[in-house]
Amino acid sequence: MAPFQMRNTVERLDRPSSYAMSKYKKRRRPNNDQPNTRAPSPDLEEKLSTATTLYIGNLSFYTTEEQIHHLFSKCGELKRLVMGLDRFTKTPCGFCFVEYYTHSDALDCLKYVGGTKLDERIIRCDLDEGFSEGRQYGRGKSGGQVRDEYREEFDPGRGGFGKNVREQEAYGAEYAQGQ
Amino acid sequence: MADTDSRRDYGGGGGGRGGGYRNDRRSGGFNKRKRGREDDDFDQGYPNHRPRGDAPPGTRIRKGLLEIAEDPLRLPHEVAQNLAKLTADNYEDEYVKDIFATVALKLIVEQPFKIPFVAAVVLYANAENAEVARDAIAKTVPRLQEYLEAGQWREFKLVLRFLACLSPLYEEDAISPILDQLFDRAVDLQTASQDDTLGLELIKVILLTVPYLLAANNDETLRQTVSDLLSRTDIVASTQSPIEPLVDPYPDNNAQDEKAMPCASTISMLQRQLQEEEANGWPLKCIPRVYDPTLKPVKANGDGDLEIEANGNGETKTPTKHTFPGIIVPATVNTGPRALFPDLYFSLYADQEVESVPPTTNIASCIVRDAIVDTINILDFNRNATARFLNEIDCYWAPDTFVKRSTAFDKLRDIQAAGKPTWKPEDVAIDAIFSQVFQLPTPEHRLVYYHSLITESCKISPGAVAPSLGRAIRFLFRSVDTMDMELGYRFMDWFAHHLSNFEFRWKWAEWIPELTLSDLTPKKAFILGTLEKEIQLSFAKRVRDTLPEDYHPLIPTSKENEVPKFKYDDENTPYAKEGREVLTMLKKKAPEADVQTVLDIVRDQALAHGIEDPLVPIMDIYMTSILSIGSKSLSHVLSTIDRCKDRLLAVGPQSEAARRQIITSVMNFWADHPGTAVNLVDKLLNYTIVTPMSVIQWALQDHMDRGRALANLRTYELVFLTMFKVTNRVRQVVRERNNMTLPYSQRQQIDEALPREREGMRDLFAAIEDAVTGVAAGAQDEMVERFEGGEAEEELVKRWGVRWTRVWKRKNAVEEAVVGEGFIGELVEGELELDVVGQEEEAAVGEEYGDMDQVA
Repeated sequence: MAPFQMRNTVERLDRPSSYAMSKYKKRRRPNNDQPNTRAPSPDLEEKLSTATTLYIGNLSFYTTEEQIHHLFSKCGELKRLVMGLDRFTKTPCGFCFVEYYTHSDALDCLKYVGGTKLDERIIRCDLDEGFSEGRQYGRGKSGGQVRDEYREEFDPGRGGFGKNVREQEAYGAEYAQGQ
Repeated sequence: MADTDSRRDYGGGGGGRGGGYRNDRRSGGFNKRKRGREDDDFDQGYPNHRPRGDAPPGTRIRKGLLEIAEDPLRLPHEVAQNLAKLTADNYEDEYVKDIFATVALKLIVEQPFKIPFVAAVVLYANAENAEVARDAIAKTVPRLQEYLEAGQWREFKLVLRFLACLSPLYEEDAISPILDQLFDRAVDLQTASQDDTLGLELIKVILLTVPYLLAANNDETLRQTVSDLLSRTDIVASTQSPIEPLVDPYPDNNAQDEKAMPCASTISMLQRQLQEEEANGWPLKCIPRVYDPTLKPVKANGDGDLEIEANGNGETKTPTKHTFPGIIVPATVNTGPRALFPDLYFSLYADQEVESVPPTTNIASCIVRDAIVDTINILDFNRNATARFLNEIDCYWAPDTFVKRSTAFDKLRDIQAAGKPTWKPEDVAIDAIFSQVFQLPTPEHRLVYYHSLITESCKISPGAVAPSLGRAIRFLFRSVDTMDMELGYRFMDWFAHHLSNFEFRWKWAEWIPELTLSDLTPKKAFILGTLEKEIQLSFAKRVRDTLPEDYHPLIPTSKENEVPKFKYDDENTPYAKEGREVLTMLKKKAPEADVQTVLDIVRDQALAHGIEDPLVPIMDIYMTSILSIGSKSLSHVLSTIDRCKDRLLAVGPQSEAARRQIITSVMNFWADHPGTAVNLVDKLLNYTIVTPMSVIQWALQDHMDRGRALANLRTYELVFLTMFKVTNRVRQVVRERNNMTLPYSQRQQIDEALPREREGMRDLFAAIEDAVTGVAAGAQDEMVERFEGGEAEEELVKRWGVRWTRVWKRKNAVEEAVVGEGFIGELVEGELELDVVGQEEEAAVGEEYGDMDQVA
């Protein structure tokens, strides 16, 4: 019988979120139809245990690199800052990657900055396996982040209503003319 | 508790776990992506969502212990009794034993508030089943020994506190002999060196253990023993350590200033407070007495004390006494992983007209503060949980220690008049957090942790915490003139960051009168710096909109320009044409040879104008063009610098003036956004395009402005970040040198490089000190004759000189204590551990505060 173990008496904030881990689980799920011939990618959990990069989300489109730099360097010197851009317009679309020199700085950031405000928005921080070219672009249909496609609430910091919602409104608008 | 919830409890009892799908939340068929975060912990698991009520005892014990004392609606002694009964009744189960020991020990070192409550569970359980207490002692004492040997003084203190709370269980007094031995070591250390801090830490551990010991055990001989001990600790505790003035938040700069707070050392306060308690028969009112032997569940035959005799059949329910295994205090105690400094008692609210926190004469001030600060510093990994604990501190102390939560400050006066308790739990908690923000030389965690903890506290209980913060801010602002300068900047940094989390709301109107003050007064400088920092986190227009009109001139519209003007666009600027040409060429990524031809023209013109060093205007053009191209964002400028770094790197060795011109160009270009400018200098330092010495001399020689620059946030930030980089590097070198995992030859190489690094650092400290002491003494060049502002202004500037001098002397002393020759010891080969305490050798060369601590 394994002895009872407990790391801490309260939950830790410096762990990867369930979202980061779920991506990993999805990836690892074996595909029965096609035997996986690719070499198994290194364990994500292991990668995250030395990660120095963070994904930062829920930024306003108008937040500048300087603002981000100013806040995040409170947890250690930044090695790199990559703004998330709209795939088509190449303008900021509300997320970024922040890279520190050390893993412990990145953890400090999760503990002390994640969930606080930047530019008056609660920002979200998550451990990331590391930036690679291409990841700075939004993956939504219209170029931004996926979440901004379907958002039904109005968010002035992130381009108003979701793109999808706006399109639906515009659709058929011509019939309203001359009423 | 995410770490443990997914665990199956294999303890006995409780229905089978065949419930299967019925209890499985995931079988509901709703969208998986919308599940809450926590659910993921169960993903790999088996269905274990058993209805709460019939959880097995192990789980209930774990939960019960973790939540002990948190519910204000349940009487603590009843909670403790129930848990004790549950544990005692199920103690034959190995898993229950395991859980109880693990959770209890973890709680002791992670949630100090709960120590008396966990101890009470053990004390109650002992009456039911002596094995519980015997195991608790047997498993805890080895931990105490480990922490002692490792020099982990906080953990040692907490475990010792727990064992002191259990003292009624021991056959004979076991705690005071330990305290005695600790005292002997402290005396040895103090005798060996007057700058010793480890001895002071030991005294603190002793004095903080005594109240818990005597609250748990009112034995008359024990009291006598403690009184004896106290009479001996007095000499150490009441003498001021020579290092104290160095870490005083309100230093005695000027005899005529009244100190905002006395900030006595914690041990001197404790010593006095304990003597006071002793004189009054040890009331120790704030410590909760959770265990009360008279409250034990009365059995049918009643009359507890007679039970031993009455129950000959082994079914005794009377407390059993246990032997204490004893610990060995090593002859040479370990300093431990952290540099130690004397602890001064910082309070924003203490000893004021209305008693919203315990006065410094009351033992509660030190005991409560100690437990809160430990909680804060231990639980940095979950600020939300910490904020919640701080919000409910009234649960963890004796009833009626505090006034009801959220009581308005205005009501306290009446309550005070009625003779009822007036300590506001919010004030006590906020006071403790600020004591860490203003800890010298540095707090245990990054300052931003304490910022976010204040933010969370505000979020939990805005109505109660915000007014306390308001009073804190006013107090700090009032005394910002006499506060240590580094702490003044910490205050500014926190204040701006805090406001950025709360829509920049502050009653700025009340500081309007201060706006007429000279920019050289610390108060006005504080306002200016705060607004600057707010803008850095936000933007000029937003910040201006939050301010009364009187402040608007402080944020000129030029600050709204995100992209500064390119000065060579103005025909009146010398070399305007060439400047524009260089800009165009760099934009087009023209070959450097082409750029050179234009720069050659500039050189010829400059020489014709009789300019001594033509590289200066050349670098101005080149750097300003880079900045203009990169003005769009940080990444733009960094990539442009990277592209042009060869020329930038080459100029330094040719001309120091040109190298400093690079800094000037950055500062001028970003004059309206000094934060961006400072940040760029930081990057230029990384590229070694500018050197630390060039930055220091730029700031404190070339741009001293007869001392006025010392009042400027930008100057402080430039010097601060440069020195942080340098000292951090030297520390890193020392760490690598002592890194036993590296091959010895490599460590030897590092060791050889160390003196050079260290000398570089010392030169910088010397340059700073030289410049700022000059200002302090009024000896700055031209200062004497050219002070138009009159004597008042001269006096203000001198004061900044004094404040700067003090900060950098301290920083110098701290660094010497970490990386100085006397402290790092000889390079030792192999697995031999450095005997850090034993290294006395020669004291650091000529350093007054050399012996401050011994960190390898």
